[in-house]
Amino acid sequence: MEFPVIFWGVLVWMISWGVIGSIVTRRIYLRKDLDTSSTGMVGAMLGASTGPVGLVPLWMKTPQITNKMMAFPALASVGVFMIAFALADPNNLCVVSGSFVASQISNGIIIGIIYGFMALGLTLIFSILGVVSFAHGEFYMIGGMITYFVTTVWFPEITPLFGIGIACVSTFILGAVFERLFLTPMYTGKIGRPVEYGILITFGLAFTLQYFVQAVVGANPVKAKRFFDFPRVRLPSSADPWLIKTSRGNLELFDTISISNPRLTAAVMCILVFIALMYFLHKTWTGKALRAVSQDREAAAIAGINPDKMNMLAFALGSMIAALAGAMLVQAFSWLPQVGAIPAMRSFVIVVLGGLGSIPGAFLGGVIVGLVEAAGTGCIPNAQQAASYIPAYGMIVLILTLLLRPTGLFGRKYSSGTHGNV
Amino acid sequence: MMNKVHAPQLIGLVLVIFFTLFPFVYSGNDYPYIMHIFITGFFYAILASSWSMLAGYAGQFSFGHLGFMGIGAYTAALFSHYFYLSPEPTNFCTEFSLGDSYLIILNPIGVTSSTLAQDCLKQAMEVWNGSVQVSPMPVWLGIVLGTLMGGFFGLLVGYLVLPLRAAYLALFTLGFAEILRAVISAEISITRGQAGIELRHMFENGITLFGRYYAQTDKLPPYFVMFFLLLLCLAILALLARSKFGLFVRALREDQDAAAALGVNTTRYKVLVFVVTSMMAAGAGATMAYYIGIVSPNNIVILQMSLVVAMAVIGGVENFAAAAIGAIFLEFMLEMLRNSFQIGPVVVDMTTWRLVIFGILLMLTLRFSPKGLLIPAIEYFTRGHVAKETVAKRGGESMDDASGVEGEN
Repeated sequence: MEFPVIFWGVLVWMISWGVIGSIVTRRIYLRKDLDTSSTGMVGAMLGASTGPVGLVPLWMKTPQITNKMMAFPALASVGVFMIAFALADPNNLCVVSGSFVASQISNGIIIGIIYGFMALGLTLIFSILGVVSFAHGEFYMIGGMITYFVTTVWFPEITPLFGIGIACVSTFILGAVFERLFLTPMYTGKIGRPVEYGILITFGLAFTLQYFVQAVVGANPVKAKRFFDFPRVRLPSSADPWLIKTSRGNLELFDTISISNPRLTAAVMCILVFIALMYFLHKTWTGKALRAVSQDREAAAIAGINPDKMNMLAFALGSMIAALAGAMLVQAFSWLPQVGAIPAMRSFVIVVLGGLGSIPGAFLGGVIVGLVEAAGTGCIPNAQQAASYIPAYGMIVLILTLLLRPTGLFGRKYSSGTHGNV
Repeated sequence: MMNKVHAPQLIGLVLVIFFTLFPFVYSGNDYPYIMHIFITGFFYAILASSWSMLAGYAGQFSFGHLGFMGIGAYTAALFSHYFYLSPEPTNFCTEFSLGDSYLIILNPIGVTSSTLAQDCLKQAMEVWNGSVQVSPMPVWLGIVLGTLMGGFFGLLVGYLVLPLRAAYLALFTLGFAEILRAVISAEISITRGQAGIELRHMFENGITLFGRYYAQTDKLPPYFVMFFLLLLCLAILALLARSKFGLFVRALREDQDAAAALGVNTTRYKVLVFVVTSMMAAGAGATMAYYIGIVSPNNIVILQMSLVVAMAVIGGVENFAAAAIGAIFLEFMLEMLRNSFQIGPVVVDMTTWRLVIFGILLMLTLRFSPKGLLIPAIEYFTRGHVAKETVAKRGGESMDDASGVEGEN
């Protein structure tokens, strides 16, 4: 970094005005006896983006807070941060090279779709059972492991769809059995604090599954072969393929954006399954029943839906989605029993950012986290440092969300289920 | 008259006497190994019992407890690694005059640096050629600093998590621990990243106790240091649990809003319970760091957190003494289960399978005896003659259970 003073100076300025804004705005709204629920967010974002210039009018007028008043300052803060970075480090690849930025953004979006898909499972479980499943990463890992064994070790000739199918079915059954055996006491009021029980028991499941797989498979990294090869395409012509150029493992758009095969197939598959899932949730009776239970458990029971069955279905389905994400990504990354930890954390970040229990929020959150990670890894000058910080980017997003807007982007303020509100 | 109500206290006393006498009585070949297991057991006992105060008494299910432990350990390690006292100025380092000696702060150099041995103090030592005696910082000061730093971060996190409950709190604290770990692994020039940072040993030059000399590698002095730290933590926890503090944090657990409405300063007690328990975790971390001699970011991974959670839950999360005993016992059990064996042609690698057993034990305990395995035993003695716990159950579904009277005698 050429002028670190600019960057850190602006950052300190933004943070201090953000803190001042969030605290003082809340105080002022409280004194005037107004709604303080989103004052922290507005105050912090307005303070971070404009400093006293924006805060003073806000404090004097104290208008009723709308969604626009939250969105624009938030975007402006991101903009100020980016400008400060560009000024501080004018020779950074992120600042000078447009094609690098385009490549990072498109890769960020693609990986973000996969992240969002995985988080979808978590949000489904949460919205119906009210449990944050800490075993989500382990289901992801098991999905990948099963796919690897089926497609690469046991039946190398068979279509990868078969392996993915087996992974889905077995994790679905595993999820259902676990729910029946260990989560049922939560619903009957036998347990004093069901939310904490849910956290601890899934935590125990994660621990058990991880070491079980390590004991059976061993701790050496494995890698599945590529599911399918791209056909060779040159557009507009083979002499001048500036539009699309493909090789077996890679796709290049406009001579600048390069996307690897496994990630693209994974993202496309995720979108297809997502559409199927939306169809299931909105058009079939069972899907509608699931959504009904997530909105109001008692009312759904009166309408003839068995909430206990829906609990089982939701946990099994949510775990299967995580396994499917793992099954798609086992061809992209090397696989270990510990591989689930970071994606699990990422899913927590995404569901909190999108709003616990919100399906569109999970997808948008996934894309945002994908972009933040792409920016973080691409723009930090020291590559090794950037790699070590990868788990932290999402966590910073998580902590900011929890501090400023715990309901997330699309969160319902009072979601039902066995859990309470925030 | 001896009453069976006093049985748990009696057992506690017997355990304390046992652990005090054990190092003098035991004389097997594996003496250092067994001692090491117990020291680690005490370390986990401090973590588990302080976590049980946080989670079981106050209802704050924090997954960042190991983060505070890491803060203590790294504060001690950085302090021990970067700060020295010298009677002469080095003219190479950052230094401050403190009375008639100088406080020397080493320049940070990373693990990848080719001039690994060439920090400023080494340069100065070459110039002095052995004429000046540089002394490292005392160990107790490192432990105190680590503890205070843990308390400071506990205060910070306690304030930040004030509005958060249950799942949100768990995720926030998990995020805190993960960021901490990422920062430690990334800032290689200061913390040396995954390679870990070395500390001087707890008793660098050995120690003479009651006329007997113990060498640096002798396990007995660190055993008693850790044991007394555990007893100190348990004493503090017992004091807190019996005072108004214990009552108030339990009110916080049952219903924060109701507690606030009844005049409990929930802000103060929620922050306070975080500060107290993080200080214990950090103190244990700093002491353990001096004993092991090296700290690395791997000490803060979520696996370690799982161990602490599992120990506390299996022992009994709503009783810190049960959590501590559970931790010592489970640590011992985990070590004993290390031996791999062979059934026919299949070699069972117990180093991994023991953890699977441990996880299954955790899940079964949670499912069938959510109070832990030790608390029901304690309650059999102490509460067998009184009505069942009279605290309000959430949601009111189980009113019948709550008012049921058990075993009148």
